[in-house]
Amino acid sequence: MDKPTMKVTRRRFLQASGTAAGAAGAAIGTGQLVGLKPIGEAQAQQASGQTVVNKSICGQCPARCGIDIYTTDGRVHAIYGSNDHPIANGKLCPKGHLGTYILYDPDRFKGPMKRTNPNKGRNEDPKFVPISWDEAFKTVADRLNALRDKGESHRFGLFFGRGWGASDVGVNIAPFGKLYGSPNAPIGHSSICSDGSVLAKQCTDGNASYSSYDYRNANYLLIFGANFLEAFRPYNNNMQVWGHIRRDKTPRTSVTYVDVHMNQTAAAADRALLVKPGTDGALALAIAHVILTEGLWERSFVGDFTDGQNRFKTGQTIEPDSFTEKWTNGLAQWWNTELKDRTPKWAEAITTIPADLIVKTAREFGTTRPAIALFERGAHNHSNGVLNGMAIHSLNALVGSLFAEGGLAYQMGPAYGPAPADPADYMDDYAKNGPHKKMPRIDLQGHEDGYLMAKNMIQEVGTNHLAGKPYKLDTALFYMTNPCFSTPKAKDWEEALKSMFVIATSPFPDETSMMADLILPDTTYIERWQDAPTYPFQGWPLAQLRTPAVKPLYDVKTFGDTLIGIGKLIKGPTGEYYKKVESVENILRHLAKGFEANPGDNGVKDFEGWKAKGCWYKKPYHWRQVRGEFFEWDGKGWNKPMSPDQVKAKLMPTASGKFEFVSSYMEKKKDWVLKATGRDPAKYNMPHWEPPKYTGSGDLHFITPKTAMHAEGRSANLPHAITLFQPANGGNKQSLAELHPSVAKAKGIKSGDRIKIKSDLGEIFAIAKVTELTRPDTLVLPFEHGHWAGGRWSKGRGSHVDEITPAQSDRISGMANYYTGKVSVEKA
Amino acid sequence: MSTITNLAPDQASISRISNLRLMVGVTGLVLGLLAGIGLLSGGHATFNTSSLLTWGLPVSTYVFFVLTSTGLTFVASLAMVFGLKDFYPVAKRCVWGAVVTLVIGFISLGLEIGNPIRMLWVIPTNMAVTSPLWWMGLFYLTYAILLFWKFHLINQGDWSSQLSKLVGIASFVAVIFAHATLGSVFGMMAMRPFWYGPMVPVYFLITAFLSGLAFIMLFINLDYGVNQSNMSEGAARAMSRQLPAIFAIVLGLVIVFTIAKTMTGLWTNVPENKIVTQHIASSFLFQFELWIGMVLPFLLMLTAKRHEAKTQVVAGGLVIIALFIGRYEYVVGGQLVPMFKGAWADGLIDYTPSLTEIGIVVLAVSIGILLYAFGDKRLSLSDQPNA
Amino acid sequence: MTKWGMVIDLDKCTGCQACSTACQMENNRLPGENYQDVLYYTDRSQPTPKLVWFPRPCMHCEEPSCMHVCPTKATFKTEEGVVLVDWNKCIGCKYCMIACPYGVRFYTDEKPVIEPNVKDVFPGTGDLSWNPPYKGPQQDNAHGVGIQPHGVVSKCTFCYHKISKAPKGTSDLSNEDPALREYVPACVRTCAPTARYFGDLDNPNSEVSRLISDRDGARLLEHTGNKPQVYYLGRSAVVPGFKKS
Repeated sequence: MDKPTMKVTRRRFLQASGTAAGAAGAAIGTGQLVGLKPIGEAQAQQASGQTVVNKSICGQCPARCGIDIYTTDGRVHAIYGSNDHPIANGKLCPKGHLGTYILYDPDRFKGPMKRTNPNKGRNEDPKFVPISWDEAFKTVADRLNALRDKGESHRFGLFFGRGWGASDVGVNIAPFGKLYGSPNAPIGHSSICSDGSVLAKQCTDGNASYSSYDYRNANYLLIFGANFLEAFRPYNNNMQVWGHIRRDKTPRTSVTYVDVHMNQTAAAADRALLVKPGTDGALALAIAHVILTEGLWERSFVGDFTDGQNRFKTGQTIEPDSFTEKWTNGLAQWWNTELKDRTPKWAEAITTIPADLIVKTAREFGTTRPAIALFERGAHNHSNGVLNGMAIHSLNALVGSLFAEGGLAYQMGPAYGPAPADPADYMDDYAKNGPHKKMPRIDLQGHEDGYLMAKNMIQEVGTNHLAGKPYKLDTALFYMTNPCFSTPKAKDWEEALKSMFVIATSPFPDETSMMADLILPDTTYIERWQDAPTYPFQGWPLAQLRTPAVKPLYDVKTFGDTLIGIGKLIKGPTGEYYKKVESVENILRHLAKGFEANPGDNGVKDFEGWKAKGCWYKKPYHWRQVRGEFFEWDGKGWNKPMSPDQVKAKLMPTASGKFEFVSSYMEKKKDWVLKATGRDPAKYNMPHWEPPKYTGSGDLHFITPKTAMHAEGRSANLPHAITLFQPANGGNKQSLAELHPSVAKAKGIKSGDRIKIKSDLGEIFAIAKVTELTRPDTLVLPFEHGHWAGGRWSKGRGSHVDEITPAQSDRISGMANYYTGKVSVEKA
Repeated sequence: MSTITNLAPDQASISRISNLRLMVGVTGLVLGLLAGIGLLSGGHATFNTSSLLTWGLPVSTYVFFVLTSTGLTFVASLAMVFGLKDFYPVAKRCVWGAVVTLVIGFISLGLEIGNPIRMLWVIPTNMAVTSPLWWMGLFYLTYAILLFWKFHLINQGDWSSQLSKLVGIASFVAVIFAHATLGSVFGMMAMRPFWYGPMVPVYFLITAFLSGLAFIMLFINLDYGVNQSNMSEGAARAMSRQLPAIFAIVLGLVIVFTIAKTMTGLWTNVPENKIVTQHIASSFLFQFELWIGMVLPFLLMLTAKRHEAKTQVVAGGLVIIALFIGRYEYVVGGQLVPMFKGAWADGLIDYTPSLTEIGIVVLAVSIGILLYAFGDKRLSLSDQPNA
Repeated sequence: MTKWGMVIDLDKCTGCQACSTACQMENNRLPGENYQDVLYYTDRSQPTPKLVWFPRPCMHCEEPSCMHVCPTKATFKTEEGVVLVDWNKCIGCKYCMIACPYGVRFYTDEKPVIEPNVKDVFPGTGDLSWNPPYKGPQQDNAHGVGIQPHGVVSKCTFCYHKISKAPKGTSDLSNEDPALREYVPACVRTCAPTARYFGDLDNPNSEVSRLISDRDGARLLEHTGNKPQVYYLGRSAVVPGFKKS
C-alpha cells in the first residue's frame, strides 16, 4: 500500500500558496477560506487501467463499516460495503458512497498554513500563508514547551470529536496530556453527543457505555427517539437488521417508535407515538406501571411476590418484604415512591399520547419476549434526560432483556497487543507532580462547581474561558470537532477562540479553521492508516483497519502522525516516548501482534492479514442470561454458570451487582446531586418523573434532529448529499424548518417562505416547510447546515441552529440539552 | 395582371408601417441575439426547463408557428386547391407567410434541441417509424419543400400549371398529415391526461386554421396601411367579405372548443387534468385569452365593423395573442403535475421562461418579420394569377 | 434469453437513499440528478399523519413508451431487456422525457439543482460534459454509460456496464455470491435491508420470479401499457395521486 508522503514538493507548495492567494483575492470582507478554482490535474496520476480494491473503514460515522475502495488509474471512483466485514456485510448506508466526494472535495486544505492577520472574526480574512510541516510542528512545540516551562501546561487543551478505544485516531491521544501535563488533553465531545444514555446505563446497570443489541433475535422493539432508520448507529447494520426482522424472520418483529415528528422510523414502525418533547420518561414510567399492574414482568429475572400473587395495584403501596427480587434491586421502593401513581391516564396528560395506546404498547412490550427498549438523544437531550433514560432502560430489566438472547448487553474490546511504548515509563517529575495536577479541567467536568458526574463538558469550555473560571486556555488543538459551530450557544466558543492560539486539523475549511492560527490539515479517511475497535455492536470483539487507498492528494498528514510529530519535539521524556511510538503504522503493527494468540474468526492473525481482510473479529459475546441464570462461554457454548459475584464483576458492576431501580452510583454523590438538581431526596436516585425545564419564551419546541445524510458533519460541503438531505420534506437545497399547518396558518407562513426563528439567544432564518409530519407544538429543523465558514457549498447554506440553542445541560450527565429550547417564528 | 397600377392614396401609411416593421424586426433581432446569447455561453442550462418540466416556451412557440403556417396554407389552398378564386388575391401572401412562420417555428425548435445538426443523418438513417415525432418531422419537411417549391412556382408566375397545382395539392396534403402527427405527439400521451385524446389533431386543425386567418387579418391589413382601399379590388373584397366571415366562424368554433376542454377539465377527477385546468382557468392569462383574446374579437366580428381594416387588425392581433397563450398553456399544462418526483416537487411545477428562452423566441420572430419584410418589398406578394 | 428485471420489497425498504447515492457514485451522476430516486409522499394529519416512500429506478419497460417515441432510435432495448440511450444518436429533442410515465430521464444541460455547479468546478472537455476526479473508468456512449456528452438524454442503465459482463444464463445477481458481486447493479448491491432483487424474469425459477409469484409483485401504472420490468412487493405498491399542497 501507498505510504503517505511527507515532502513539500514544489507543486504542493504552489497549490497551497495558490489556494491562499485565491482566498485572499476572493475573500476580502467575506471571510472566505478557499479560492473557487477548478481542480483538475492535481488528481491526475499515472495510468495503468488496473482497478485496485482496498480494504478500509468508512469514516462518516462511528459505526465503522468495512469498505472496499475501488481505485483505477489513481482515481478513487467507487466505495462499496465490504463483504468481509461483519457490520457492513457488503452493504452501505447512503453516506458510505459519498466518500469519493469527501476525498476529492475541491475546498480541502492543500498543506499546512499559518495565520498572518492577528484579528479574528467572521469577517476577518485570516490571510493564511503556507508553511512547511517542520515549521508547523516547531511552532506548536515551542508554544507548548514554553507553557510547560512556566508551569502553565494545563492551559493547553486538546479537543477531539471522533474517537474510540485504545488508539482513537491512529495514536492514543490520552498519553499526550498525561506526559505533557494537562488535564485538558484530551477533552472529548461526548457531552454534545450522547452521554445521557451512558449515564443512564451507569446509574442503573453500572456500565458507563452504550449498549450492544441483539436485534436479530428480538421480537419487539420499543424505540424512544433513537432514529433507527435515519440516524441511529450502526445505521447500515440497523437497516440490514430491519430487512431481516420485518420480513425474513418468522415471527416478524413488532416495532413501536416514539418521537416528536413523523420520520422514516416512525413511518416504517407498526406504531408511531408522537410524544411531546422531553416527556419520554413519563411514557416509560406508565408502561412500567402497566407491566407491573398487569403482571407482565419477567419473573425469572426480576423476581416475584413471595406468594406469587400480584399486589401491584394502581395507587397502592406494597410491603417491601413481600417481593423477592432476583437480578434487580429496589423495585418495591421504586413502586411505592414513584411508579404506583404513574398511570397511562396520568401519562396522557403529560405526553399527549392517548392512554389506550400506552396500555396497548405496554401489553405488547410486556408480553412479547425477547423485547428491547432503546433510546437516544430524543429522550435524553433534556434537563430530565438521565431520568428519562433510566426509566426507559428499566423496562429492559422488567422484561428480562439484559444479557439475554434478543436483548441487550455491552461491548467487548479487541485482543490488541501492547503499544510500542508504555507512557508510564516516560513520566517525568513535572508530569507526575507538576502544578497541572492541582488544576481542574477547563470544562469543570468532575468538579463540584461544574458537572461532577459528567464525562466531558466541551460545551462549557468557551463560556468558562471567557469568564476566566477556572482559568483561561492559552493553546487549543482541535481534532474532528468544531465546537464553535456545534455546541449550544456556539457563539461563546467562537468568542473564546479569539483569545486562544488555535490549531485546526480539519482537512476542510470550517469555523474553527477560520479562527485558527495554524492549520495542520489532516488526511481524509481514504488516505490514511488507522484502526478502530468497534462501536458497541453485538458484543463480540471486532477491530477494523483503515488503509490508504491513495497517497494523500495534498501535503497533508494524518492527525495521529501530526500528534507524534509534535510530541517528538516536546522536551524531556515526552519526546522520547513519541520517538519510540514512531508512527501510526508502527502502532498498528504492534496492536496486531495481539492477534497471534487470538486469531480472528476470519483467520486474521497478524498485521498483513488484518490489512488484507480489513478487520479482525472473534464471535461470540461471552456471556448470556437465560431465564434468570447467567452463563459464560466455555469455547463451545454458554455452559459455565456464573456466580452473582462474577456477574457483578463482569456484567453489572453496581454496588448490588444487580440492575438498580434505586441507583447506588447516584447515591454515592447524593449531596451533590440534591444540591445541583433540587430533586426530592426520596426519589432523586430512581427513575422518576420530573418535567423538563424548557428554556426560552417562545411557543414552539425547537427540535434539531440528525438526518440520514448528516455524515457526522462531513456532508455539509458535498453537493450530492445536500440534494438528498431531507427527503421526506423535499429539502434538496438546504435543511427546511418543519412547521405544522396550524402554526403556519396563524403566522401567515407558506411552504418555501423565509421565516425568522427567535430564541432568547437571538434569531436565525430558515425556509419553511408546512407539513403534517410535525406536532403542532414543535418546530423541527435538522442541524448540519448553516455554516458561516466552510467550503463553497456549505458556507452560507441553510440555518445554523446552535446559534439559538440555549446552553442548558443535564446536571447529572452533562448532556447538552439540544432539544429544550422554545422559540417563536414569524415570516421574515 | 390586374394589380393596381395607380399609386394608392395612402402610400404614406404603407411605408410608415413598412418602416416600423423593419425597425421592429431589426430591434428584435438585436434584442433576441442579446438575450439568446446565453445559449452560446451556458447552453441549455440557461433554460428554465428541466427534467421536471421538459418542454417550455421554445417548443410552444414552435407549435404555434408551424400551426400558423398550416393555417396560412389552408387559406392559400382555398384558392389554389379548392378553386375558390376569390382568395387568389391573398394567396401569395399566405404562401409566403406560411414559409416565414414555418421558418420561425423551425428556428425556435432548432435552438431548443440538443444536437440539431445530428438530426440530419440520424433521422433518415434510423427510420424510427414508431415515433409520431419522426412522422411529424417527415411531413413537415415534405411540407416545407413543397411549400418553398410552390412559392417558387407562383413567384415565377406559374399559378396554374399541372405541376403547380399538383405541388399545391401535395403541400396541402402534407400539412394535413404534418399537423395531425404534431397533434398525435401530444394526443397519444396516455400518461399525460391533460394532453391525451383522439381529438387533439382535430383541435390542432381548427386552431391552426384560426391562427392562419388571424395572421391574415392582422398582417395583410398592415401591409396595406390598415386601409383596404389600398388593396386591389379582389383583395379588398376577400378581406372585407369572405375572410372576416370565415374568421368569425372558425373563431366561434375555437371558443366552443376552448370552453369544452376547460369544462371537461374542471369536471374530471384526474388530478393531472382537473388541477391543471383549475390552475390555468384561474390565471389572468387564461381569462385574457378567453375574454379579450377570443370572445371580444368574436363579438367585433359579429358587428358591421368586421369589414373594416382597423377592426380586423385589432381582432386578428388579439386572436394571435390568445392563440400564442393557448399554445403555451397547452404545452406547459401537460407537464405541470410533477411525474414521480415525490417531495422533491410536491406542488405544481413553477415554470416561467428564462431570458434565453424568451430571447430565442424574439430572435426567431424577428428573423420572421425581416423575412416577411423582404418578401413584401421584393417578392411582389400582391401578385395573383391573371383572371 | 435472459430478461433482466428488478423486484423491490417495500416492506423492507427503509427509504434511506443508499440506492440513490450508490447509483450516483457508480454512474457519476450530478447532484440531484437521481437515476435512482426515492420519492416521499405525505398524507393525512396530526397526530396520525402518513408518510410513505417509493424507490424508483428506471422501469426498463417491456413496452417502453420512451423508445417508441424516439425519432432516431437512440433509445433502444437490448436483447436482455435493458432500455438504453445511444448518446451517439440522441438529438436531445427530449420527447422521451415527455413520454416516460415514470419521470426517470434527464437532459445533460439542465440548471444545477444547487450552486455552484459541479460542472464548473470539474469542467469537462470534448465528449464529456464534466469530468470529476472521481469519474469511474467506464465510458460507453453507445449504451449511455458514463458521463454524458452535451445535448443528450440519459437514464438508469441497470448498471449495464456491470450486468452485461455477468456470465450467460445467470438467474439472479446478488451481493451474496462473491463470484457475481461485481455484476450486480449498484443500487441492488448496496441495499442494506436487501429490499432489492435483480434477476432473470424469463427464468421461472429465479428468485425474482418466485418473489413476484409468492408475493404478488405489482407494476406501476399498468394502465399506460408500459409493462415495467421492475416489480414492487409489499405495502401499498401504489404511488399516491397528486394533490395540491
